[in-house]
Order: sequence, then C-alpha cells, then structure tokens
Amino acid sequence: MKIDRDQLTAQVERMIKNGYDYLVKITAVDYNDHVEAIYTLRNMDANKDDTLEVEMSSADLWVPSVMKYFKAADWYERELYEMFGIAIKGRAVDRLLLEKWDGENPPLRKDFVWGVQYKTKD
Amino acid sequence: MAITRINIGPVHPSTHGVLRLVVDLDGDTIERVEPHVGFLHRGVEKLVETRMYMQSPPYMEKLDYIAPLSYDEAYVSAVEKALGVEVKERAQYARVILLELQRIASHLLAVGTMCNDLGQMFTVFMWAFKDRDMVLKLLEEAAGNRMFYVNMRLGGLLRELPPDFEMQTLDVIDYMERRIPEYERYIEGNPVFMERMKGVGVLSQKDARNLGVTGPVLRASGIEYDVRKNNPYYVYDKLHFSVKSLEKGDNFSRYRIRMMEMRESIRLIRDAFDKMPAAGDMLGMPVKLRSPAPVNKEVRVSRELPRGEALMHMVADQQKPYRLSIRSPSFINLAALPDIAKGYRLADLFSILGSLDLVMGCVDR
Repeated sequence: MKIDRDQLTAQVERMIKNGYDYLVKITAVDYNDHVEAIYTLRNMDANKDDTLEVEMSSADLWVPSVMKYFKAADWYERELYEMFGIAIKGRAVDRLLLEKWDGENPPLRKDFVWGVQYKTKD
Repeated sequence: MAITRINIGPVHPSTHGVLRLVVDLDGDTIERVEPHVGFLHRGVEKLVETRMYMQSPPYMEKLDYIAPLSYDEAYVSAVEKALGVEVKERAQYARVILLELQRIASHLLAVGTMCNDLGQMFTVFMWAFKDRDMVLKLLEEAAGNRMFYVNMRLGGLLRELPPDFEMQTLDVIDYMERRIPEYERYIEGNPVFMERMKGVGVLSQKDARNLGVTGPVLRASGIEYDVRKNNPYYVYDKLHFSVKSLEKGDNFSRYRIRMMEMRESIRLIRDAFDKMPAAGDMLGMPVKLRSPAPVNKEVRVSRELPRGEALMHMVADQQKPYRLSIRSPSFINLAALPDIAKGYRLADLFSILGSLDLVMGCVDR
C-alpha cells in the first residue's frame, strides 16, 4: 500500500489495532529521482504480511520514526539513515550501526561514488 | 552505587565473532548493554547490485558461515521467483533434505558453543563438532565442498545426489537420534548448567513480538511462528513435522527448542526420502552469465533459516538485481539483546548471548 509519510504513524497505529503487531523489516530502494521506504508488517495470527510504501523525492529525505510502536524499528531506522541518508524524525540516531562515515555519500544510494576515502567519525 | 562501564570485545571468545559490547554495570548487575557491530560489514547488499544474478551465491554463503546452504537457497529462490523459473519436483525434495541437514549441523554447533559459554568447557562442544562433521560429510557428498557448497542452481541443484546418499543419510540421522538424548542427559543433568539457564534471560511473549525477534528465540517465547508451516515453500506442506514452542522464554527454553527442532528435522528428512519421486531429475540450469529476462519486477521471499526468518526483497533488473535487501535473523535477535540482558548479572550476559545463537557475518552483512 502506498501512503504519504505524513500519514505513516497514523496508518501504523491503525494496522496495529488490526493485529499487525510484528515489524518484519524496514528497508528502502533508491530509484534515482525518488527513494521508497518500505515497511513490512505482519499479522501473526491471521498469517498475513502487508507493506507500507513511502515515496519521497531524493532532495528531501526523511521519514517519521515508528520506534514508539515497535522497538524492532530501532536498528532498522538507524540502518536506513546510514545506508540511504534518510533522516528519521522524532528520535535521535546517535550512533551509526554498520559503517563509520561522515554523513556524505550513503552507500546504498545509486549515486554512490565508489572508492572515496571516508573521513571516519567515532 | 557508581556505574562501572566495561568494554567486551571486539575480539572475545564468547562473542562468536567480532562483536563489541559496552556494558554499564551497577555492581555486578547489568544496567545497559550497547552492542557495537559492523566489524564484519562487507557491503554484500551493494556488491550484489554489481554482479550478475548467479555470480552472487558465494557471497550469500559467507553471510552465515555456520549455515551457508540456507542463505544460498534463500537467494537463489528469490532469483528463481524474479526470473519465473520453476523448481523441479525432485529437486524440491532434495533441497528440503539438504536444508534440514544444514539445520541439524547449525543447531549442534549452537548448543555446543552455548555450553562452552557456560563454562562446560569443550565436552559438549567437541561432541557437537564431531557429530556436525558427520553431517558436513554428507553435504560434501552431495555438493562437493565441505563448508561452502554453492550447489543451488536455477530450477534445481548442481548435480544429482549420489546413489548411496539416502542410505548414508539415514545411517547418520539414526545415529543422531540416539545421540540427542545423550546430549540432553549430559547437559540437563548438570546442576550448574541448569542453574544458569533456567529463569535467566527471560523474554516475555509481548516483548518478543515488539522486539521483532525471530526463529528459535521467538518460538521459545511462546509464539508458534515458523515460515515452513505458516507460509510453506517447496514440499514442506506435504511432509510431516510439527512446530514446537515453549512458554517461558528463558535461556533454557531457547536451548530446548533447538533440541526439539533437531528431532523434527530428522523426521522431515526421513519423510522427504520416503515421498521423493523416483522419476525425473534434479539438475538446475547451468550457470551462464546471461540469464533469462525477469518476469517479476519486485519479489519477496521468506525462508526459515536455522537462526530465524530471512526475508529476501529483490528488485530485479535485466541481468543484475537492482536492489537486494536482506532481513537477517541474527541482526534483529542481537538488537533485542539490550532488553533481554538488562537486570541480569554480567556472567549471564554470555549465556544469553550464547542462547541467541548469533553469527556476526549475518548481522553485519
């Protein structure tokens, strides 16, 4: 289901009420001009998966945090920030997870420049 | 009392790889654990985007080096789904047999290292290693390599199972069936082990859902979810096995679940050999650089690996994946560690870590 990022938290809340209370994965795909963040939620009792797709332009990358609904979102959101440079609103991403870089050139974006020496932080 | 901060790892025998833990202690009680990961990060998701479809399975195997075949299979089935390739029926049975053998090997190692972490130095570990080696020998017979198999091909396997494979496998699993009670007698008859397992590292059902843990960790907390049963792939819906779950969610339950799953895997393998059709072959397409054009643009494949559920989400391009996102089971189980370990003793941290059965290659990707 494609939704707007302003409605993301409200939609997640609605889905939790419908039994979708297990977060499988948050990931993203970069389509050059826009980036799509994909939230996969699961209703374990009904055995159903549903996805929420949030589309945003590459110039303005942010999504609201869903961490207050799912603790599982913590590391996924940090990964989203570090791999795609998507800012997470409503929480502090204080430490990078897998890489050590200075915030430029996120690795899973399509305009990633190979072979650049990273300035390391930490 | 003042908080003491200590650093564990990145190189530490009990962290099962390169994992750094920063632990805040109040006396001997854990106030906060912060896992620092990424030491084994190889950027596999990015690498895959630069390779042809069938050049990537070797990378996938190095993600989880304890159960390489399972990752290989998960990736290849994502490619199969994207390219619209059907898997031959005999190959489906053969894959199930190999995957379950891999599960037994992986769980044996998990139990062995867990006992090591608990100070039962090397007895169970050596038993497990020896028994695991018998399973690895079988996989070597089938695939040609002892550890990294790369024998999944589009639509089937690299080669037929050898003629005496069934007999050899049945011998090994008969032996394994006699062996599992021995493990249990030795481990569960040990009061020190039981003391440190029962009631330690409790993860309630509600937290398990919220933290998104998966695999044996989820089932030990009372949620009976197994992809093989709930969302069956291959011939799992035709075979007899049951999904086990326990209520308590402590270290001991997580260990018990693995023992029970090994028994179920043995049942599955026997059943799969019984029902495997004699006619037909199991050969897949030979690896060619050019693959058929994809029929599905975006595919999602969910598989039950020994450590939990892996979700391969692939956006397909003509000859290469445009994007492959891997939901790795160890990643999300490790993310739950701070919540599980809080309030227990420092010494319990390693028993909890052992019971989660992490592979750092799988966490860092």
